[in-house]
Amino acid sequence: MNNMIGESWVTTQFEALEDWAQRNSFWPFPFGTACCAIEFMSTVSSHYDVSRFGSEVVRFSPRQSDVLLVAGTINDKMAPVLKKIYDQMADPKWVISMGACACSGGFYRAYHVMQGIDEVIPVDVYVPGCPPTPEGLIYGILQLKEKVIRDRKKHVRHDAKEQSETGKETIERVHAGSNV
Amino acid sequence: MTAEPIARTPTPRPPGRPMLKEPHPTDLKPYRPGLAERLYLPLLGGLMVTLKHFLRNLFNPSSRYTIEYPEQRRDYSHRFRGHHILTTRPDGSVRCVACFLCAQACPAECIHIEAGEHQDVNIEKYPVVYEIDMLRCVFCGYCVDACPEEAIIMSNNYDMAYFNREQSIVGKSDLMKPYTFDEERLGYRPRFPEEDAKRARMRRDAFDLVTAAKEAQAREEQKSAH
Amino acid sequence: MSTLAPTSETLPEVSASPATPTDFTASAGDLAVITATGKFPAGSIVAEEGLDQTTWIVRRDVLFDLARELKTNPATQYDMLLDLGGVDYPDRDERFEAVYHLLSLPRNARLRLKVPLREDDAAVPSLIPIWKGIDWFELELWDMFGIRIDGHPKQRRILCHEGFQGHPLRKDYDAARRWILTEDKMYKPDFKLPEGGDDLFERMAINIGPSHPAMHGTFRLMAIMDGETIAASEVEIGYLHRCFEKMSETHTWNQVIPYTDRLNYCSSFINNVGYCKTVEKLLNVEVPPRAVWARTILSEFSRIMDHCVCNGTTLVDTGGLTNFWYLFQPREEIYGLLESCCGARLTVSYGRIGGLSQDLPPDFMERSRRLLEMIPPFVEDAEKLVNKNRIWIDRSVGISAITGEEAVNWGWTGPCLRASGVAYDVRRAHPYDLYDTLDWEVPVLYGGDVYDRFRIRMMEIRESLKIIKQLLDRGMPDGPYIVDDPHVALPPKEACYTQMEAMIYHFKLIMDGIQVPAGETYQMVEGANGELGFYIISDGSGKPYRIKVRPPCFPIFSTFPRLINGASLSDAIATLGGLNVIAGELER
Repeated sequence: MNNMIGESWVTTQFEALEDWAQRNSFWPFPFGTACCAIEFMSTVSSHYDVSRFGSEVVRFSPRQSDVLLVAGTINDKMAPVLKKIYDQMADPKWVISMGACACSGGFYRAYHVMQGIDEVIPVDVYVPGCPPTPEGLIYGILQLKEKVIRDRKKHVRHDAKEQSETGKETIERVHAGSNV
Repeated sequence: MTAEPIARTPTPRPPGRPMLKEPHPTDLKPYRPGLAERLYLPLLGGLMVTLKHFLRNLFNPSSRYTIEYPEQRRDYSHRFRGHHILTTRPDGSVRCVACFLCAQACPAECIHIEAGEHQDVNIEKYPVVYEIDMLRCVFCGYCVDACPEEAIIMSNNYDMAYFNREQSIVGKSDLMKPYTFDEERLGYRPRFPEEDAKRARMRRDAFDLVTAAKEAQAREEQKSAH
Repeated sequence: MSTLAPTSETLPEVSASPATPTDFTASAGDLAVITATGKFPAGSIVAEEGLDQTTWIVRRDVLFDLARELKTNPATQYDMLLDLGGVDYPDRDERFEAVYHLLSLPRNARLRLKVPLREDDAAVPSLIPIWKGIDWFELELWDMFGIRIDGHPKQRRILCHEGFQGHPLRKDYDAARRWILTEDKMYKPDFKLPEGGDDLFERMAINIGPSHPAMHGTFRLMAIMDGETIAASEVEIGYLHRCFEKMSETHTWNQVIPYTDRLNYCSSFINNVGYCKTVEKLLNVEVPPRAVWARTILSEFSRIMDHCVCNGTTLVDTGGLTNFWYLFQPREEIYGLLESCCGARLTVSYGRIGGLSQDLPPDFMERSRRLLEMIPPFVEDAEKLVNKNRIWIDRSVGISAITGEEAVNWGWTGPCLRASGVAYDVRRAHPYDLYDTLDWEVPVLYGGDVYDRFRIRMMEIRESLKIIKQLLDRGMPDGPYIVDDPHVALPPKEACYTQMEAMIYHFKLIMDGIQVPAGETYQMVEGANGELGFYIISDGSGKPYRIKVRPPCFPIFSTFPRLINGASLSDAIATLGGLNVIAGELER
């Protein structure tokens, strides 16, 4: 929008409104694979109720969601799928990596487990825990909100170049035989 | 309550006698709904259930199960396995003697220690570097179980989120920061009845020593001011 | 409580610590039966003595005929294949060993067959014509060990990805060596269309998953659709293969326990109990009565939790979202109990070899009793909404029905099998912990469809509540919570802080691990999905040599294409929910 009209008071207020709406209604894409998915289910259940933060609407379609919430171990077989889903999501998009396995591979230093999803996609918030308690996850979502506020002025976008560099590095490292 | 000898049923069937009475069924007997069910009448009963829950929650806020985090927090027990804490001696230095048992016990190999020589010959070693990679840690508590000095315990803090991998490697000073004798903040740690009271007293004394030192310093400053 | 009343025969007075009874003697006479048939050359089947279970070492060339004989002979009747795993002994001439575990349901007899294989000629005949459920086990054998399966319709990798090179469970494979999967190497199915395939009106090949809301976890269903009906389908798994078995070889015995938590993560304590029970059998230690009592109660609570998730998510998939909220609340309440015991909600790691990791909290009894009162209203509400609801009945009665006989042939156990009319429950067939001292029933239904699988889980929740109530009424036994052997359990902390000897035992246990004597055993528990078995081989060191997990949902999920072919897509989704496939357990 600002490209078309140029910066002005009206558009900055509009952007502020847009950002306020975005950060108070993160529609998560729960990319749940393992135990963390069960804790995510607890988070959307009535005991913790993430809908208080606008995230009730879980959209399992990359086109309709804005936060990719990776919950659970991602292994090498799943990595291309994760990358594809991330690429299909529309901007602006954020990634929350939930749980030890998604953040860093956890205690699976193994032949089939990716040592953290940041090998293939850029991550905004890392939530540690195995699995993180639902409150820990909500804290992560709140931290993402803070980050969105901080980044607002900088209009930070996930750089397409950045994500392909990380992917290439991983491939080289693993082919060389040294990884975990 | 002592256990009385438990009577057991005799071990199931001597060998040779069939376990399952009939052969495996080869036909199916599915559920046959009755007339009321076919007429959708029990749906009204279901609607009553949801209506009851709805009205109860609407007019009686205390019957709602939702914990309004971050204003309210769930009352986890004192065994909760949360963020680690490195405990301190009364003089404020770290209690850890760099024996590497926690690093060995950790299934995720997330503890990194570098040992250095301690001036006190009775203590011998101390960790120059003590880092835990919070993103690798699976919060299993094996480090606490392994520690022979009660140097590492866990708090009941689960609020952790990082923006990058460097932030998540927590060093010695950050691990020592939350240490307090406040029982409410502590989680998983070794507990045994007789020692429990003694250690609670030790923690209180340690706190008292620090407070006493601070008060003494404040008195000194006041005196020199006059 | 009639089972507890004294009868005319003198019941043996059991000492305070019940040993793990595993009566495997029913199959002792089978070798004589088989030899008497005269069909097998002498020396091709040799009994291995001194093991926990009847074990025969079988030559590869007679394996197929032996298997057929064992299944069809009325004196042996081995109608279910439980497990097929491989073991790598690099020092031996015959490097690999394919280990088959068989179960005869009518006779309650168990048998283990070992087929030694040379490295240059590592192949076994496919036994799919005899037991259909062995299909995926054979694929896993190829994937993990490189043992060819002769006669398999489509030998391919099942757990590792298609770009993977090497066979990871071989001893010479480095545990951390990874391979990248690129898009061009991803698995592409080739479908066998059913007859009349060319007449299909509107064919479309679709891919459901691996990231899909209705796939509980990450499974990929590839289907050729004819309008709304599934004409042909294939399932691909392996999207959560986390290398549990290789990880267990690189960690000490107690360090494996957090890994077992993550197998069936909906009821993680049961996995702990199964694993610890197997290692305790190898160590030959007796668990103190307090720990046994607590393990039984917490296992039953875990079972209730798992059934709540399964039923809740099945209903979500078919559109009944309210029950999901209602059924998740009991889970939260049970989390409170588990968290007060050990500090974690979901992945508890509460068991240790020899007992529990720490003592029960002082308010355990009150909390458990409160739970017994809190859980039934939620379960009743969920049932009121659904059981007599014609919408649910139309969507689930008759859907993906399977007869008991076929289910047994596919290797089903657990609630799915009991919904098809076969009353097999490990807690009744091979009682462990305190199950044979309690008054409870094994629920059985005869419809074999989604409706019955749903209902049977609700019935099992009630049985579990009954079991817990009886145990609570009996009272908490006094005593230690872990075995009093410093070679097995960490010494108590106060001794560790003050006595040198305790400190040394503590140090050795952490550094070297428990020294489990060499041997092998297969023990099972009734997991929430069925028979969860652990086949553990120890070589006398502080780390396991081989752990093979028998996941209950592995054969159940391999039946999935057969269940849904010809059904509509929404029926397939409802079926998947009812099978309760947990990816952590399926793919380890």
